[in-house]
Amino acid sequence: MTKETAMAETTDAAMALTFSLDGETFAIPVEHVSEIIDPLPVTRAPNADPFAPGLINVRGAIAPFVDLRHRLGMGPAAIKDQSRVLVLDLAVAGEATKVAMLADNVDDITETAMADIEPVPELGIRWPTDLIRGVVKKNGALVILLDVGAAFAPTHAH
Amino acid sequence: MTSPADSFIQEATDILEGLEAILLELEAEPESAASVDAVFRALHTLKGSGAMFGFDALARFTHHFENAYDQIREGRARVTPELIQLSLASRDHIERMIDAGPGAGDDPASAVLVAEIEKLSGEAEPAAASAPVTPKTTQRFTIRLVPDALALRNGTRLDLLLDELCELGDAVVTCHADRVPRLGEMDPTVCHLWWTIELDTSKGRDAIDEVFIFASDCVIEIEESTPDATCEPVPAEIGSQMDAPARVEAAKTPDAKTAAPKPDSVRVQSQRLDELMDQLGELVIAQARLNRIAGDLDDVALAGTAEEIGNLVSGLRDSILSIRMLPIEPVFTKFRRVVRDLSTELGKDVALSTRGGETEVDKNVIDSLTEPLVHIIRNSIDHGIELPEARRQAGKPEQARVDLRARQSGGKVLISITDDGAGLDAEAIRARAIERGLITPEVEMSEEQLFGLIFEPGFSTAKTLSSVSGRGVGMDAVRRVIEDLRGSVDVRSQRGVGTEVTLCLPLTLAIIDGLLVKVGTESFVIPLSSVEECVELPPDDDVRASGRSILHIRNELVPFLSLDRLFGFERLHSDDRRVVITSVDGRRTGLVVDEVIGQHQTVIKPLSIYHRGIEGLAGSTILGDGSVALILDAAAIVKRAQSALKVAA
Repeated sequence: MTKETAMAETTDAAMALTFSLDGETFAIPVEHVSEIIDPLPVTRAPNADPFAPGLINVRGAIAPFVDLRHRLGMGPAAIKDQSRVLVLDLAVAGEATKVAMLADNVDDITETAMADIEPVPELGIRWPTDLIRGVVKKNGALVILLDVGAAFAPTHAH
Repeated sequence: MTSPADSFIQEATDILEGLEAILLELEAEPESAASVDAVFRALHTLKGSGAMFGFDALARFTHHFENAYDQIREGRARVTPELIQLSLASRDHIERMIDAGPGAGDDPASAVLVAEIEKLSGEAEPAAASAPVTPKTTQRFTIRLVPDALALRNGTRLDLLLDELCELGDAVVTCHADRVPRLGEMDPTVCHLWWTIELDTSKGRDAIDEVFIFASDCVIEIEESTPDATCEPVPAEIGSQMDAPARVEAAKTPDAKTAAPKPDSVRVQSQRLDELMDQLGELVIAQARLNRIAGDLDDVALAGTAEEIGNLVSGLRDSILSIRMLPIEPVFTKFRRVVRDLSTELGKDVALSTRGGETEVDKNVIDSLTEPLVHIIRNSIDHGIELPEARRQAGKPEQARVDLRARQSGGKVLISITDDGAGLDAEAIRARAIERGLITPEVEMSEEQLFGLIFEPGFSTAKTLSSVSGRGVGMDAVRRVIEDLRGSVDVRSQRGVGTEVTLCLPLTLAIIDGLLVKVGTESFVIPLSSVEECVELPPDDDVRASGRSILHIRNELVPFLSLDRLFGFERLHSDDRRVVITSVDGRRTGLVVDEVIGQHQTVIKPLSIYHRGIEGLAGSTILGDGSVALILDAAAIVKRAQSALKVAA
């Protein structure tokens, strides 16, 4: 049930789910993905951190709804036909937690070999580099591999 | 999942808990034969079932301990404070041996304790030998032992029973094989044999009953006769004897105090109760959904059925909650030992009195309570209560008092720990808080607020560190545990007179009755326990909301605050807004909401780490339509609003 958040644990050829936010493609290791569901109404939590603005009901379990766009410095999203909610199984601060997040689009599952992962370029990336583990080129496009621990931490230093 | 050894461990743990209480009673009343018997019986049970489940080292050790009490029972030794001390130490030792598990070897500590036990009872023996102990006359008993056909399968060790009987005196054991069937028809796992035993013993009838204490699946008849009478009552018909009335159980009952209390109860793993509770939670949610559908469809038959189911569910809820409710007494009993050991260690004379042990609290609350209570009591004895010398100078009785009291008040349980010690020193607390950087020197604080500082992390006023407290990790842990239980801690103290710490806890953790309201477009649940009434918000009051918001309710002024503003929600322009009047610490405060939907039974789901820190939220729940609603903590909201007002002023 509890899964390692630490990406270092992932094996050589890890499977990752790719999804898009604001036209960029991100990837997250598949072992953290519990399910992908259609968007549901979100209950706002008053005075909550903008990173975790609400809660949703994932088939009888209440999951915090996090806004990765906010942490990445993107504007709020409109829900489109392609939008999906990713339900993730994470260990947040040592606690097994189900977390829901909205993605503009869920693309594919791809294999990301360790050897293919390139370090984050110092320049040319507009979000905090500590949230990112590296980048992979897939069919000529850049896929950004998230550092799950940092990207979904309850508080972000920057 | 439950192995026989597990159920032994569970049983033994209960016995040890009881044993501690009896030993402490015995300390208070050393002459109580009933208590001595109860100790002996507890030890005998431990020895017997310990050996049965492979705890051999434990059984060997307990045997010596049991012997000591046997000597007291027979008047050959006396109960002394040293014996009680040693008995308590032995009890703890047995506890450790149980933790070590079955099959563990002899602990070196066993030998040390055994030597001390033997020294104590050995010293008493020569004196007893010369003392005119009433000699017990030898009696002859004729015992018929007819095991149940399945006794061997159940693990009854008939050989051990017979051995034990033979140890009591001169015994002639006759085995009867008349019921053994022909070899072809014989099932070797069924017991076909029965016995008669002619026993000459001076130990009396009770000793024989002790032997059969576990032999519940045997029919046992004990007849007493004079040693000379050569009677050979071998009945021809066994079948009629199976229902013979003279069962051992019946013989044991007269002494209600020493007979182990065996209420008509079933042991259930608490995890199963938790599962039951979870399922009930789902049922409550499904029922809310059904109500909603029934309301939408407007069908009389469906509405009637939904209402009926609603009543059944709330009945079921009450029953399940009551299963989880346990009296707090066993927790209190544990503290008699804590107080005793601690006061001995610190050279203080402290008497603990408890009241309201019958008060029932949810099992989960009870499980979490022990640790905070230990901290508070240790603090009371270590820091609060003065040394006997100081107490004499202050004109107080040398023996200090610690009162542990529980009572129920509305939907809450109040547990207070009161001592008649030196009380809290507000100035010392203030100085310490400044030193620790908890407050700045220019801050003005009431005494009450200063007392609250002792619950801050890293606060400790003890000048010297003792083994029990003074590391400054106690009281903040207390507050954390109590707040996790949705409770609160309150301290009152008077210099030189004493200190009272009161814990206020909810009766149950899982389900609450709430008032479902709407603020803006979102639904919230306000726990009904903090709601007094709902009133309409007069439009003109609403308009003046920029300044101080005060309502007139039956000649009383009640301040109110708007939840939408507090939550930073956009304002809905509805004209029939309501005010939910809450009562927190006896003070009334109104919370303005857009709509009051009605009463709602709510299963509390804890908040995730992302939302746990938000002040004013107590949890979340799923409503009938599947949406999520947040449960408000009225007390925290009111407090927050008050401190916000103070900052503004």
